[in-house]
Amino acid sequence: MRDLAQLALDTAVGRGAAYADVRFLELRREDLLVKNGQVGGLEQTESRGVGVRVLVSGAWGYAATDELSREGVMACAARAVQIGRASASALLSPVRLAPEPPARAVWSSSCRVDPFTVPLETKLDLLFRVDAALRGVPGVDIAEGFLTFIRKRQLFLSSEGADIDQTVTRSGGGYSATAVRDGDVQRRSYPQAEGHHQTLGYEFIDSVAWVDEAPRVAEEAVALLSAEQCPAGEFDVILEGSQIALQIHESVGHPSELDRVLGMEANYAGTSFLTLEKKGSLQFGSPRVTLTADATLPHGLATFAFDDEGVAAQRWPIVRDGRFEGYLTSRELAHAVGEPRSRGCVRSDGWHHIPMIRMVNLSLEPGAGTLDDLLADTGHGLYLETNRSWSIDQLRYNFQFKTEIAWEIRGGRRVRMLKNPTYQGITTEFWNSCDFVCGEAAWRPWGVVNCGKGQPGQVADMTHGAAPARFRKVRVGAGYDA
Amino acid sequence: MRSDEARAILDAALALAGDRGMEVVLGGGLFELTRFANNEITQNVSERRYALSVRIVLGRRTGRASGNDLSHDGIAALVARAAESARLAPEIPDLLPLPGPQRYGEAPPPDPATERIGPVERATEVARAVARAKAAGVQAAGIYETGVGTIGDYGQMGTLAIANTSGLFAYHQGTDAAFAISALDGAVSGWAGVESRRASDVDGDALAARAVEKAIRSRNPTRWEPGRYTVVLEPAAVADLLQDTAWLSFGALPVQEGRSFLSGKIGTRIAGENVTIRDDPFHPLHGGAPFDAEGMATRPTTIIERGVAIGPVYDRQTAAKEGKESTGHGLPTPNTFGPIASHVVMEGGSGSADDLVSGVERGLLVTRVWYTNVVDPGTATLTGMTRDGLFAIEKGRISGPVGNFRFNQSIVRMLGEVEAMSEPVRAGGVVCPGLLVRSFQMSSVTEF
Repeated sequence: MRDLAQLALDTAVGRGAAYADVRFLELRREDLLVKNGQVGGLEQTESRGVGVRVLVSGAWGYAATDELSREGVMACAARAVQIGRASASALLSPVRLAPEPPARAVWSSSCRVDPFTVPLETKLDLLFRVDAALRGVPGVDIAEGFLTFIRKRQLFLSSEGADIDQTVTRSGGGYSATAVRDGDVQRRSYPQAEGHHQTLGYEFIDSVAWVDEAPRVAEEAVALLSAEQCPAGEFDVILEGSQIALQIHESVGHPSELDRVLGMEANYAGTSFLTLEKKGSLQFGSPRVTLTADATLPHGLATFAFDDEGVAAQRWPIVRDGRFEGYLTSRELAHAVGEPRSRGCVRSDGWHHIPMIRMVNLSLEPGAGTLDDLLADTGHGLYLETNRSWSIDQLRYNFQFKTEIAWEIRGGRRVRMLKNPTYQGITTEFWNSCDFVCGEAAWRPWGVVNCGKGQPGQVADMTHGAAPARFRKVRVGAGYDA
Repeated sequence: MRSDEARAILDAALALAGDRGMEVVLGGGLFELTRFANNEITQNVSERRYALSVRIVLGRRTGRASGNDLSHDGIAALVARAAESARLAPEIPDLLPLPGPQRYGEAPPPDPATERIGPVERATEVARAVARAKAAGVQAAGIYETGVGTIGDYGQMGTLAIANTSGLFAYHQGTDAAFAISALDGAVSGWAGVESRRASDVDGDALAARAVEKAIRSRNPTRWEPGRYTVVLEPAAVADLLQDTAWLSFGALPVQEGRSFLSGKIGTRIAGENVTIRDDPFHPLHGGAPFDAEGMATRPTTIIERGVAIGPVYDRQTAAKEGKESTGHGLPTPNTFGPIASHVVMEGGSGSADDLVSGVERGLLVTRVWYTNVVDPGTATLTGMTRDGLFAIEKGRISGPVGNFRFNQSIVRMLGEVEAMSEPVRAGGVVCPGLLVRSFQMSSVTEF
């Protein structure tokens, strides 16, 4: 691994790269799915490869290969330099990298029980017990459960002298029950849509009460078929934590990515309303709203010692007491916001893809009080749980979400179940309407594992911590005026 | 990778099968992409990779292992891992035996000129497009990608070759090229793009001209109120909506599970008489693989004909459940998703989407849509945003730019409101026309 990575680095520099970094990765993944009492997937995946990133005449080139011979990695490095030269032919301003002391480190995420040593029988037994509990509830048509385990070991070498060997292990899973009647398709998921994941070993799976919650999840899915349609109108809305996590992801995380702000994602994911002059002045949310980027969050999905440019993990505010304060940055773009150092947000989803700015863990800081306190403080409103659908415009103003279930709140209590809740808003109006964030006891780290960005597209994961919170006068129900 | 090279890798795995059933799938190729923004190249990448997936079948037990170490030892390790999974896996009562040899339709070979395109050629084409944007005083951002093999947009790998111990072998290698450009003038923008299996169909200058024109015409948009409008959807917008609908509703599994708007409607009228939709990898604009991930021959399959629901696409398992034959739209076995229509073709009319504008008294021209997602599966209701050029149509002419809308629209209902269609083109992985549609629901406005 090391010899080939060093050979690729030496080749790139020898061919004329002014800067080069090499990532040699070994990926291992295990996926198990059970649907309606049958194994729906059982796959072990391994992948090894090398990615070479170079600056030639101030322009980027990137090449990746799985031909892991001396000839293969030398050809890959030469291809990266050739591509860099081609890039330089259409360049207006040479890339300047913010300085970063070259680190030498070995780091691993916490993993007490190696998930790849836990027998398949143990994992399948858990999924079949969940499946039986879900299908034990009359009216459930589809029961699905999954477990996913990922280990990524990456050696990062740079022409500046960085030498970083990192290993991250991720464990997670989830399940859902779906009930169908006359074209009405109702689903409940646990612990959230897309499952629950952390950078931990199998001890994370053992820490979750998977089977215990299955009957409730299944019963709610069936009950939704008979529930009233969520009414349309303006309501005070309480969002459960995992829905706030996706709200943070779409309406705070993506618009604060500096590459988007500067137009580099314009053709695909779009740009951002958080233009440079808004830093330090925009009242993004109410004073209750503080959002912190944190690549050091324990067991977060975007928790690491160094990013894929060799920059050490950091923690900093994106929104403090409602005011917009900071961006997610890279070595290439930090200077655009007058910062001397990258915030360390550059990641890739594998050896085959170039690293770019990706969200690190980004969380809503807890306020005070419990969910019961919040419900009691809400005379009439809606409590929405578990994401089902999401969409936002390419500048990140106008969003619409659907959740799996809503509860009408009257007199401080949940009085009835409602189905098909959708809500819309404009990002800053929405966050400025936040007047209650529950406290630390209700705060949970929720994971997102399907974040798409870039061309070619890459899939990243990150954690968004949140407690339930209330938003005033939210527009509800427009999704069903179709 | 040539057929004989692929076959040699598959055979090396099959030689280790012993008396076990084995299916081996090879995917991969070379994928390169030049990306530009702010009128310069900002990212330029190349990935060369292959992966082998081995599935062992032991009666009704099966397990799969995948990896990219294609050495003898690497393949042997994959076989051992797949065998171990299969041994430990519970029986799947519905698991079908491996299929034998199949006969495949003829698909076009890779385009040699596209295979030869490299970073210099892509940079040259990008420079032509950027020059057009610079001259107009706007910022260009976009991509020029070329590929040979089966590496998809998010790095997923399709099936380049498949073989099994029952004698099945299939191989198909294609080429792809795509160019897309957004022209930005502050918060307003215009877009144009093309995708083809031949890079010679890419004309960066012409696409830039169209995107720039749309951006300039989008300056100072007026705000229209949300409501139902007659719309002209350009093919890129139609393609996005049809892709989501195909994923949601055109496979046999969602139909069997009651999650598709086709459920219980086969043989009945569900759309206007002018609507015919099928899946056809052999359409000249698609040029897709003639087989699926199970090695079954893909057959052109009519889903909706003249407004009547004909049927979904099938894989082996969903077909067996109904006593039918697979239409060759399967994903790797086993899976929980079911078959998928990945080469959708919607029949159309003649002329361009621009020509449809003359038939509209008052409405909107939609260049493309963005961030579509499912609101209601049963009615195929999708939400999303208009993007990169939304224009008012008044008295059959474009009268000016309009601020973007969020829409919530049932696609079933939309297919019953189609008044006119342009000539189909390939866009967003779909062959489809532009559509003139009545009563399209725009739900809310945004800030640009």
